[in-house]
Amino acid sequence: MLRRVRRGSIFQLLGFAAIAAVITSLVAVLVPWLPNPASDEAKRIHFVYWFTTVICIGVFAAVAAVMTYSVIKFRARPDDDSDGAPIHGHTKLEIIWTAIPAVLVTAISIVSAIVLAQNSRTGSHPLVVKVVAVQFAWKFTYPNGKSYGYLTLPKGRHVKLDLTANDVIHSFWSPELSQKQDAVPGQHTSLVITPSRTGTFPVICTELCGLGHALMRSHVTIIPAAKFDTWMKAGGQAASGPPGLAVFQENGCGGCHTLKAAPGANGTIGPDLDKLKQEAARAHQPLAAFIKESILKPSAYIEPGYRDAMPPTLGASIPAGKLTQLVQYLEQSAK
Amino acid sequence: MTELHEHHTAPARTGIRRLTGPGWLRVLWVTPIFFGIGVGLPVLIRWLAHWHPVWKGSVILTVELVTVPLGFLVGIGGFDYWAHYASGRPTVEDDHSSHGAKSWRDYFRVNTDHKVIGIQYVVTTIIFFCIGGLLAMLFRAELAQPGDQYFNPQTFNVLVSNHAALMIFLFVIPAFAGLGNYVIPLMLGAADMAFPRLNALSFWLLPMAGLMLVAGMVTPGGGPSAGWTCYAPLCSHQPLGQVFFNMGVQWAGASSIMTALNFLVTIITMRAPGMTFWRMPLLVWANFTTSLLVVIATPFIAGSQFFVMFDRVLHTHFFEPGGGGYVLGYQHIFWFYSHPAVYIMMLPGFGIISEVIAVMSRKPVFGYRLMALSLMAILVLGFSVWAHHMFVAGMAGWLRVPMMVTSMVIAVPTGIKIFSWLATMWEGRIHFTTPMLFALGFLSMFVIGGLSGIYLASVPIDIHASDTYFIVAHIHYVLFGGSVFTIFAGIYYWFPKMTGRMYDERLGKLHFWLTFIGFNLTFFPMHYIGLQGMPRRVADYAGRFADINLFISIASFGLGASTLVFLYNMAKSWKHGEPAGGNPWRALTLEWQVSSPPPIFNFDEIPQVVGHPYEYGVPGAKHAIFGAPKPEPVGTD
Ligand code: HEC
Ligand SMILES: [Cu+2]
Ligand SMILES: [Cu+2]
Repeated sequence: MLRRVRRGSIFQLLGFAAIAAVITSLVAVLVPWLPNPASDEAKRIHFVYWFTTVICIGVFAAVAAVMTYSVIKFRARPDDDSDGAPIHGHTKLEIIWTAIPAVLVTAISIVSAIVLAQNSRTGSHPLVVKVVAVQFAWKFTYPNGKSYGYLTLPKGRHVKLDLTANDVIHSFWSPELSQKQDAVPGQHTSLVITPSRTGTFPVICTELCGLGHALMRSHVTIIPAAKFDTWMKAGGQAASGPPGLAVFQENGCGGCHTLKAAPGANGTIGPDLDKLKQEAARAHQPLAAFIKESILKPSAYIEPGYRDAMPPTLGASIPAGKLTQLVQYLEQSAK
Repeated sequence: MTELHEHHTAPARTGIRRLTGPGWLRVLWVTPIFFGIGVGLPVLIRWLAHWHPVWKGSVILTVELVTVPLGFLVGIGGFDYWAHYASGRPTVEDDHSSHGAKSWRDYFRVNTDHKVIGIQYVVTTIIFFCIGGLLAMLFRAELAQPGDQYFNPQTFNVLVSNHAALMIFLFVIPAFAGLGNYVIPLMLGAADMAFPRLNALSFWLLPMAGLMLVAGMVTPGGGPSAGWTCYAPLCSHQPLGQVFFNMGVQWAGASSIMTALNFLVTIITMRAPGMTFWRMPLLVWANFTTSLLVVIATPFIAGSQFFVMFDRVLHTHFFEPGGGGYVLGYQHIFWFYSHPAVYIMMLPGFGIISEVIAVMSRKPVFGYRLMALSLMAILVLGFSVWAHHMFVAGMAGWLRVPMMVTSMVIAVPTGIKIFSWLATMWEGRIHFTTPMLFALGFLSMFVIGGLSGIYLASVPIDIHASDTYFIVAHIHYVLFGGSVFTIFAGIYYWFPKMTGRMYDERLGKLHFWLTFIGFNLTFFPMHYIGLQGMPRRVADYAGRFADINLFISIASFGLGASTLVFLYNMAKSWKHGEPAGGNPWRALTLEWQVSSPPPIFNFDEIPQVVGHPYEYGVPGAKHAIFGAPKPEPVGTD
C-alpha cells in the first residue's frame, strides 16, 4: 500500500516540481533583471548571478512542489479528527537534506571567491583615478592632475579608482559597471573597473550621506582607448580654455550644472548656469556678487524650483585666486 | 513553588496614600522631579566647571533621556519592592496583589503575572506596528512619483529611519518577547517566570523606548535621519532628534536583555518534573537560543550607540576620522549585534511555526532533535557572519571570503528547518486554520527571502546589489514574510488561550490573503528595481522607475489596509468571540491542558511530564499527566 502511494506521489511531485521550475525560469529569463553590463567585472558578476539563479530555481521548485502536493493531498476535512502518521524522522533523509544544500552553497562560494579575486585584479598598468566624495558631489582626479565632476574612462583598460571621502561615508556605484565601493573619510579604498562598452551611464551614491543623498548623481562616459589618450593629453580639453574653466572642471561643478561653454557640464541637479544673468536679476543682486555668494554660501539664496543641495563646503575649499578666476569665468560666459 | 498561592486584591488606597503608592498619580509628580534633576545636574556641573555655554541643549537632552524614564519607572512602581528590600526594612510577604488582572485597569499597572505582561507586550507592540506601518505608507506616498511631493529629504529620511527602528526594536523583537512571556511558563508547567518583578520592569521599559523614538521624530530642529543603521560619522552630526534614537535603542535593548535573562533562568530552572530538555516544545528551545543571542549580542549595539553619543556630547573621537577615530569600527560593532538580531527576530518565529505546523498537521515534528540542534547551530554561526553587511564598506579585504562562507553555511541549518517542516506536513491531516495559513505563508515567503539571502552572501553579487532596493526586498521577505507572518500565526494560535475566546476564522483568512497578496505585490518588484539601479533611502529617483514605484506604493496601501481586518477581528473577538474552551486545537503541549485563560497561577496541580510534546498519531501517547503521585523533585525547586 505504502509503496504504491509512494510511486504515484513521486510522479505527481515531479510534475509539480517541473511546473514550478518552468514558471520560475520564465520569470528569471523574461524579466530583464540586470542592466546591460558595461565592464568585464559586471559580466563576471552576472555569471555568478546566473549560476546562483539556476541553483535557487532548483531549490525553490523542490520546496514549492512538496508544499503544493501537501496542501492538495493532505487537506483534512473540518470534521476529520484523525491524526496523521506518527513519523518522527528519517535519518537518511535528514542527512541528504543537510548534505545537498551544503554542497550547493559550497559551489556558489567557490565560484564567488574566484570571481571576486578576478574582479580585484588591476593588471600591471592600471589607470588610477582618484575619487573624492563630499556631500553631495563626486570629484574625479586624473594622473595629469585635472579633476572633473564626472568620470571618463577608456574602453578595455584596467582602471583603479582610489576612493576617499571628506565628510561622511558615500558609496560609488554605476549599475552598468556593477562594481561598488564605499568612500570612507580618513581611509582609502579601491575599486577595479575594466570598461567593455562605450556609452554614458549613471553614477550614483548608494550610502545615505545626508539630505542631498538622492541627488548625489553623476555619470561615467566610456570612450575608445585611443580617443581617451588624446583626451588625456589635451588635459581633458579644459587646458585650452580660460583658467576659470579649469577651476570649474576641477571642482566637479558640471556634475550638477549645465554650462554650454564647459564640455561635459550637463548636470540638471542645479540651475542652468547659462542663465545666470536672469537668475541674478531674480535674486536682485549684481551678477558677480551673486555668483560669489552662491558658491561660498549656497544656502543664502535658493533658486526657486531647486533644492539646497549644493555642497556647502565646496566654495571654501577653492583657493581665493582660483575662486576669482571661477567667478570671472562664470560672469563672462553668462554675458 | 509547589505550594499554591492565594490571590489578594490590593486594599483601595485613600488620601495621601493615593499619591505615594505606586501608580499613575505618583508618576505625575515623580517624573517632574526627575526631569528637574536631568536639567539641574548637567547645568550645575557645567556651571561649577566654568564650561560655556552652561545651558547646552544636547547635553541636557541626553541626561533627560536617562532621568525621565527612570522617574516614570519609579513613579509607576517598577522599583518599589527592591527599594524596600535594599533599604533594609523587614521583608514584607508578597500578597500577590499585583499579580493577575481583574479588570482592564490592571493592564495599566505594574503587574507581575507573566500572562498579563505577555498581553501588555503584545498589545503595545501592535500599537507600534501600526505606527511603523503608517510611517511606511507616508513615505510610500512620497515615492509614488519621482521628485519631491509631500516631504523634504529631512522628513523623508526621518520617516524611513523610524519606520525601521520601530518595526525592529518596538515590534518584532518585543512581540516575540510578549508571546514567549505568555506561553513559556505555561509550556514548562511553571507558575510564572523566574523573576516576575524583573519581568514587569522589562515590559515598562518598552513603551518608554517607543515614546522616545516617536518623540525624536517631532523634535524641533529635526528628527534622526541617518537610517536605522545610523552609521557614524553621519549620525554624530544629526539634528537633536538623533539623541532620542541613541537613547531609545538603549532602553529597548535593556528591556530585551532583562527578558532574555528571565527566559534563560526560567527555562533552565523552572521546568515541571519530567520536562527534560529533549521534551521541551520547540518554541521553548527557540526562545532559549534567542535569549542566548540577546544576552551575548545586545550589549554591542548598546556600545555602538553609547560611543556615538559620547562623540556627540563629550566630543570624543571614537568614530571621528578627524580625531583619529575608526569610522568602520561603528559598523563592526553595530553588525556584531545586528546580524544576530536578525536571528533574534527569526528564531522565536521558527518556534511558533513548529508548534503550529505539528498541531495543524496532526503529526509529530519531523526530526525534533535536529530541529533543536539546528537552532543551536544558527546561534553559533550567527556570530561569525556580521561582516556580510560590509562587503563594500572598505574593511580588510581578506575578511570577505570567510564571511561569505559562514553566511552560506548558515543556510544549511536553516534549510534543515524548512525541509523538516515540509516533512512534518507530509502525510498529515492538515487543517487550514488561520495560524496554519500564516505558517504556510511564512514557509513560502521565507524560502524566497532565504534564497535572495544566498545571492547577497555571494560577495560579487552583493557588490552589485548592496544598498539598493534588492536589499529592501530581501529584508522584507525575511522580516515581514518571515517574522511578521510568524507573529500573526502565533497571535491567532494563542488568541483562544489568552482571551478564552475564538477569533473569527473567516476574517482571519481574509486577513491572511490580503496580507499575503499585498505583501508580494509590494515587495517582489523591489528586487527588480534594485538590481536595475535604484538605491535605497532616496526620496527622489530616476524617472525610469516611476511606474513601478507607483505600483508598489498602491500595493503598499493595500497591505496597510489589510491590518484593519486584523485589528477589527481581534477587538471584536476579544469581546464577543465564541468561548474557546481549554484546548480548541487538540494540542498536547502543556499550555493547552489548562483552562483558557489559565488560572491565576497557571496550574492548580503541578503536571508530571511523561513524554514528548508532539506525539500526534501515537496511540495512547501523553506529554504530561495531572494528579500523579507526588513526584520526587527534579532539578532545582
Ligand atoms: C551636488 C550638486 C552641485 C554641485 C557639485 C555644484 N552645485 Fe551649484 N548649485 C546646486 C544647486 C542644487 C543649486 C540651487 C540651489 C541654490 O541656489 O543654492 C546651485 C546653485 C548654484 C548657483 C546659483 C545659481 C542660481 O540660479 O541660484 C551657482 C552660481 C552655482 N551653483 C555654481 C556652482 C559652481 C561654480 C560649482 C562648482 C564649484 C557648483 N555650483 C557645484 C548644486 C550643485
Ligand atoms: Cu550618498
Ligand atoms: Cu546579516
